[in-house]
Amino acid sequence: MKRVGQPRHLRFAKALPVIAAAGALAAASAYASGGESAADERWWSPGEGRVFPEVLDYENEHGTLRTLLVGGPLDTEGHPFFEPISSNGRACVTCHQPADGMSLSAATARERWDATNGDDPLFAAYDGSNCPTLPQGERASHSLLLDRGLIRIQRQWPPAPRLGEEVVPDFTIEVVRDPNGCNSGAEYGPENGWISVYRRPRPIGNMKYLLAVGFNFDPKQGLALPRDPETGDYLSGNLMSDNRAFTLKEQMDDAGLTHLEMLRELTDDERDAIKAFEMSLFAAQQTGRGGAVDDGGAQGGPAVLRDAEPGELGSIGFPVWGEFAAWEEISEEDRARLTPEQVEFRQSVARGARVFRDRTFLVSDAAGVTTQMGFGNPFRVACKMCHNMTRMGNDVAPGQVDLGTTTLPFADHFGDLPLFRITCQNDPHPYYGREILTYDPGFALSTGRCADVGKITLQSMRGLAARAPYFSNGSAADLRAVVDYYERRYNIGYTEQEKQDLVNLMSVL
Amino acid sequence: MKRPLIAATMMLAPLSAQAQEVGEIVSFVSCPVYRDTDNGRKSGCWLVRDGESGKQWDVSQSPHKPNWDYAVFVEGRVADQGDEFCGAPVLEPVRTSRLLDHRCPRHMLPPEGYPGRVFIAPDRYLTSLANPPEFEGPFGPRTFYAFFEFDRDFLVYQYSDFIVQQAAYWIEAAQPRRLVVTGYAATDPIEVSGMELAESPEIAQSRAEVVVLALSRLLPGMEIETRWETGSQPIDVPDADTIPGQSQRRVEIAVEF
Ligand code: HEC
Ligand code: HEC
Repeated sequence: MKRVGQPRHLRFAKALPVIAAAGALAAASAYASGGESAADERWWSPGEGRVFPEVLDYENEHGTLRTLLVGGPLDTEGHPFFEPISSNGRACVTCHQPADGMSLSAATARERWDATNGDDPLFAAYDGSNCPTLPQGERASHSLLLDRGLIRIQRQWPPAPRLGEEVVPDFTIEVVRDPNGCNSGAEYGPENGWISVYRRPRPIGNMKYLLAVGFNFDPKQGLALPRDPETGDYLSGNLMSDNRAFTLKEQMDDAGLTHLEMLRELTDDERDAIKAFEMSLFAAQQTGRGGAVDDGGAQGGPAVLRDAEPGELGSIGFPVWGEFAAWEEISEEDRARLTPEQVEFRQSVARGARVFRDRTFLVSDAAGVTTQMGFGNPFRVACKMCHNMTRMGNDVAPGQVDLGTTTLPFADHFGDLPLFRITCQNDPHPYYGREILTYDPGFALSTGRCADVGKITLQSMRGLAARAPYFSNGSAADLRAVVDYYERRYNIGYTEQEKQDLVNLMSVL
Repeated sequence: MKRPLIAATMMLAPLSAQAQEVGEIVSFVSCPVYRDTDNGRKSGCWLVRDGESGKQWDVSQSPHKPNWDYAVFVEGRVADQGDEFCGAPVLEPVRTSRLLDHRCPRHMLPPEGYPGRVFIAPDRYLTSLANPPEFEGPFGPRTFYAFFEFDRDFLVYQYSDFIVQQAAYWIEAAQPRRLVVTGYAATDPIEVSGMELAESPEIAQSRAEVVVLALSRLLPGMEIETRWETGSQPIDVPDADTIPGQSQRRVEIAVEF
């Protein structure tokens, strides 16, 4: 389950770089059965001009991740998602790697560091290091990326206008602690108009689900959804941890100017090509410890994602993770051709889907769902209450919820992240009070509202097996750590069996 | 859509804390108690106690449920139901409005053998974009009413959001000349459980503005005039569910042809 050298207690991470790096090497060779060439093949460097096949499989510790490119194969030569159109040698694919479910695992970052001595454009000073002011050749200056897969995200403060309206924050923000130097000094920090937070790359692919709009009302905001000024379409509100971008166009423009350090804007042709690629790509785990995830009547894997309608609410349509219902009862024929371990694993996945949907626990103080929308605080729900979109596990409504992952007292302790003090100027925050300590204010960095501090947009749950660690700040080292976080946060009382069933379920998505 | 259980005349009956007959209205302020029943999602119980009569009530059917950190202003009608769900007789229809200036200690009871209620999606459930409602003419002048929690301007899920959404679909089909949206606030003080309660005057305007913002997104290009009024009085319309106080805390969307 857990990789050697992937530090569980990240407080110790800085003290263990050598061991961590060695562990990463071991992991790399374990995957790359064909030796170095296989490891090279795994990593997509910008500008290689490879052909992106229609079906592409990569192994990971839980099985195989498959990408499916509708209309593929695609010659990536000259394609702006794959070419280093940047000033720093990067392309989009640098942080959105097929083998990592179109995100980037921390293990892959470590492999790259070791393979290139830290020379890969991934480690660009701008956001591939803890801060550009640090000595760039040293591993310690890239510890957040290497240990937890985190990229520096620099947000404008006060926030840029949102939906054409000026944003006037109702809170002040001070830097309590700045271990990396990117929230203080002459250039950085709120006083200079910038706030740096550190986040995991969110997976691209399966985008029709993240852009889908099931209803034209947002229950968390108590408002109709805003519309795209260009197309008039309703906006899903499900992109980026802080939802600073509503559309793929806004998102890629932001990515171009930041991650790619482009000195010009993307052209319309480039935008079209990137969008077309993002919209035709589907990614999901294709095999797991129980064999193929679309075998024995199950409906896992990317082909189903390609063909299904997006935006369905599991509670009124196809149940969330109902893909694995057929594995609840395994036929005699199937038993005859499967190993006992595979049978047991499939049944565990099927139970995990039920635990996800039906095993309730008491959720409290989760701003976004317990505050205004009428459910009350606390309320009893299962995982799928928030992760409610059929086949994707993101939120059908705009999914900004405060789970506590980035905000004290619920967040894990991380001495290597900046810590901010938010002071609400009007009403206090309903649960944290007037003063809030947070590593990442999340949605509040876009809306300027103290009520939104700590809210993070729910992600896609597909391809999890390929892209540890989890949560926006990489605080859960593996799938078990995700379950453990919920167990601690909401005092759930899952049995050991239920925990393992959830982990097994998540490993085949 | 939900039909009011109570004849319209009852709505205008005087408030009385002692009233306990079926259909009578009770209103008081109480700290809420959460009873952690588990009958699937959203099956927990909310209990409150009327300090004057000493009676405990089940208010779990409020469209905006309590937060255990704050007192709630309860307005509800005694229902013809026993205490078998949550351990107290039921108020329904009922409203619980959070009073954020009055903190309460968090209090939770175990199920103690009570099952809670299996969650059933309410009738006022947003329609999905895939299945929009169809309205047929002839269309003429009409007023829609959306309702709010005490002193709040939030369009609550599975109640007011539905009303505004459905109004927008109707208006889209009817193609009127313009809309006049008027926000109301119940600013005349009332005495409840020894407290004086009155909505703030600004809430009338912000209610109107919230509804106008929602409508302008649902109906781009529609001409909408925004108005607001304080000193709101009860009216008799079905979606207030026979709760007079609820009917005062409203926005009217007048459709003009
Ligand atoms: C240096 C690494 C890096 C590069 C290069 C990069 N991204 Fe990302 N990407 C991220 C991170 C980190 C996030 C999450 C940001 C957040 O949540 O605030 C992200 C998020 C996204 C998302 C949002 C997905 C979702 O579910 O919310 C899309 C789409 C995306 N990137 C596309 C692109 C495109 C297109 C490019 C090239 C123009 C690109 N990225 C280049 C790191 C990168
Ligand atoms: C109250 C709403 C809510 C509930 C209930 C909930 N989640 Fe989440 N989940 C979130 C939010 C919000 C995030 C994003 C947090 C972040 O990234 O920091 C998230 C993120 C995740 C992720 C991380 C995905 C990634 O790409 O890193 C996983 C996995 C996950 N949840 C699994 C579960 C499981 C398993 C349960 C049930 C035990 C559950 N969730 C219950 C709101 C919820």
